[in-house]
Amino acid sequence: MADTILSVRDLSTRFFTEEGQGNAVESVSFDVEDGEIFGIVGESGSGKSVTALSVIDLIESPGRVTQGEIWYRNADLAEEFRGSKPEAVDGDLVDIRRLPKGVRRSLRGPSFSMVFQDPMSSFNPSITVGEQIAEAVEVQRRARSNPRSTRSRTQGYGLGSLLVDSLLPSKSYVDDESMDRAVELLDQVGIPDPEDRADEYPHQFSGGMLQRAMIAQALAGEPDILIADEPTTALDVTIQAQILNLLRDLQEQEGMSILMITHDLGVIARMCDRVGVMYAGEVVERGPLADIFENPVHPYTQGLLGSIPDVDDPSGRLEPISGNVPSLLDSEMPDACYFADRCPKAMTDCLTRIPEYELDGRHSVRCVLAEQEYDPADAVESAEAADAKDREVSADD
Amino acid sequence: MTEPLLAVRDLQKYYFEQDSFVDSLLGRDPTSVKAVDGISFAVERGETLGLVGESGCGKSTTGETLLRLREATGGAVTFDGTNVFEMDDDELKAFRRDAQIVFQDPFSSLDPRMTVGDIVAEPLKIHGIPETTDGESKREWRRDKVADLLERVGLSANHLDRYPHEFSGGQRQRVGIARALALEPDFIVLDEPVSALDVSVQAQVLNLLDDLQAEFGLTYLFIAHDLSVVRHICDRVAVMYLGNVVELGPTDELFESPKHPYTKALLESVPRPSTAEHGRRVEALSGDVPSPRNPPSGCRFRTRCPQVIPPDDLDIEQATYRAVMDLRDALAVGDVNPDHIWDAADPDRTDTEAFIKEARDRHVDAELRGEVAGVIDTALGHLAEGETDRASETLRERFESPCETHRPAVGDASHPAACHLYEGSDEVTVIETNAGATAEADD
Repeated sequence: MADTILSVRDLSTRFFTEEGQGNAVESVSFDVEDGEIFGIVGESGSGKSVTALSVIDLIESPGRVTQGEIWYRNADLAEEFRGSKPEAVDGDLVDIRRLPKGVRRSLRGPSFSMVFQDPMSSFNPSITVGEQIAEAVEVQRRARSNPRSTRSRTQGYGLGSLLVDSLLPSKSYVDDESMDRAVELLDQVGIPDPEDRADEYPHQFSGGMLQRAMIAQALAGEPDILIADEPTTALDVTIQAQILNLLRDLQEQEGMSILMITHDLGVIARMCDRVGVMYAGEVVERGPLADIFENPVHPYTQGLLGSIPDVDDPSGRLEPISGNVPSLLDSEMPDACYFADRCPKAMTDCLTRIPEYELDGRHSVRCVLAEQEYDPADAVESAEAADAKDREVSADD
Repeated sequence: MTEPLLAVRDLQKYYFEQDSFVDSLLGRDPTSVKAVDGISFAVERGETLGLVGESGCGKSTTGETLLRLREATGGAVTFDGTNVFEMDDDELKAFRRDAQIVFQDPFSSLDPRMTVGDIVAEPLKIHGIPETTDGESKREWRRDKVADLLERVGLSANHLDRYPHEFSGGQRQRVGIARALALEPDFIVLDEPVSALDVSVQAQVLNLLDDLQAEFGLTYLFIAHDLSVVRHICDRVAVMYLGNVVELGPTDELFESPKHPYTKALLESVPRPSTAEHGRRVEALSGDVPSPRNPPSGCRFRTRCPQVIPPDDLDIEQATYRAVMDLRDALAVGDVNPDHIWDAADPDRTDTEAFIKEARDRHVDAELRGEVAGVIDTALGHLAEGETDRASETLRERFESPCETHRPAVGDASHPAACHLYEGSDEVTVIETNAGATAEADD
């Protein structure tokens, strides 16, 4: 078995909004092994993107990671903190949530980097693509040559630098060496004529080309783990095929691991070695691709698979999951399995919080069906009945 | 065969840029964006015709233009025997009752300040329905009708007085469908009705559309980019690329034996949700969709086509020919910069041999031999001297493909494909274009 490079344990992220506390991520655990592609799949609002942002420490107020551990394998870091923070070190693994903020920030780039969903809105429209990639290269270069002082880009940015920057705008931060590396990166991700394209602005790129450029930017720090958040959702299917091929090639060349976030089970099937299925902030089922697709245990996973029309087989009616995606407000979340009110196999046992059951070491599921057969006699009212009841209630108010 | 409900003939919709009064004073020529460029198809009564293609191929424009929501540039649309573009006001009002549309985005297509009841009742009000009632007021009659409609689409009559923001995306899309059904139309254009929805909700809406079609005998034009959805719901499918229909046929036939290279590539690209998909490497189409401002001459797909046809007298492998055509396209759009090649090959700019070698490494993705290598090297030699146009011309003279001089269009067969590979059969009709004119220029 390959070594685990990232191990997330009981991670919870909350958003403290005016409407109340939103439980976007709820006790999520998963591992990413060295050199594999791990997929997280779920519908909108299931917490998959917030999970990714929590791992890379980009959650902003009013959100906060409230609990959990993120163990990351890095021998150098483990050595550095073995003395000062023994509780955060376990062998070669470090719990990055317990490291100082500056150190966490310095991991962005050489350890974790991210590709976002919408390339058009992720680039600064007023700076050339080449310069934006070169900036990422520059930050990494400076950080490497002086790891302690340059953990922040803005450190040491005084009045003098501001004056110089306003008199001689642009390129002041990026030197030629970084720019050359940026061109190399653009070439590596398959952009034709990279020297010229580097001097163009984002609006001059097509969506597919810009997504390639963003991948180039993410590669600037030579990351151990690339987090790809819906990297092909904004693209057409023929361009999606190009980008997926590119990601797989890069993963093989660079030997990095990829955490792939998507709503598309087809993309998961093509790319991922292991999968976690998320619903309402929880990982409801996780395991190797074949287990999830061929022997799904959780009724939600089954429902998701049953909802997709098959491009090779049009026969048969779709079997959708009834009802809608639930609210994630803490006050509205039941003290039961979150899927119970939509679940076709809900039983009385489902009305308590469900722990995660291990099926065979690699396949785990958060559902009572892991331990017992479905017993219709024990069923709680179905979703349709609950819906009908809802209507009566709303008629009353 | 009975007359189709809707027949589209050579429909064109161009948008013009630089077309204002100021532009004409400044002597600027208007430039056209050919969103839809001469497409023809028919929708039979009771069937679902799918219109599928990538973003920017003109499928939504087609849907809106044939309902006369946009003024067409050319062509004709016949609905139930009458030309839609020549209807007078009364006929048009009747047509608006018979033909409806459901929009893609359920968040922006419902007025946030109207209740769901008012939204669904609005078409009834506009068309003065009911004309007479026995006893109850028209308002009450409409309210009952709306309650019926909401229940029919899977919402509850109690939702009548709620506002759109109180509903989820799937529920809003149901409201949009109820509104389209209010006037009991014969024909509905469904413009990406499920693409904004999550898969579990998408399946609910697809099932609903199926049920409604069976119940009311509706005819659908289903516009989508998701091939799995199209396969599931459509009887026949038209595949669009850059403003043209490239293939048209019964769904099963088209999916099981696609004819046009574009359709094949599209089907190949779709990721399938099954374990057999794991690690499957798709031969992805190279490049991007060209701009409709300046579409390629001849066949629109030729710049990406993996089966582009070489000239008769040229013996060349397909992969090599594709590489040559890619070089020509790159030259045409200005993706080849001799300065960079010189910088890498020989900064003194004397060694033409080194330049040619470097240029071949960079821009020709194939092994070259014999005559082909000779012509390419001659052209690259011109490029080394900075004569890009002459390089392009040298390549064009030897490598010009019938795909760039003649434009294919779908023929009259039951499953036609607009591709030169089927020349000589009734699957394709070939239109002469001005041969030799290079439609591609640097923009």
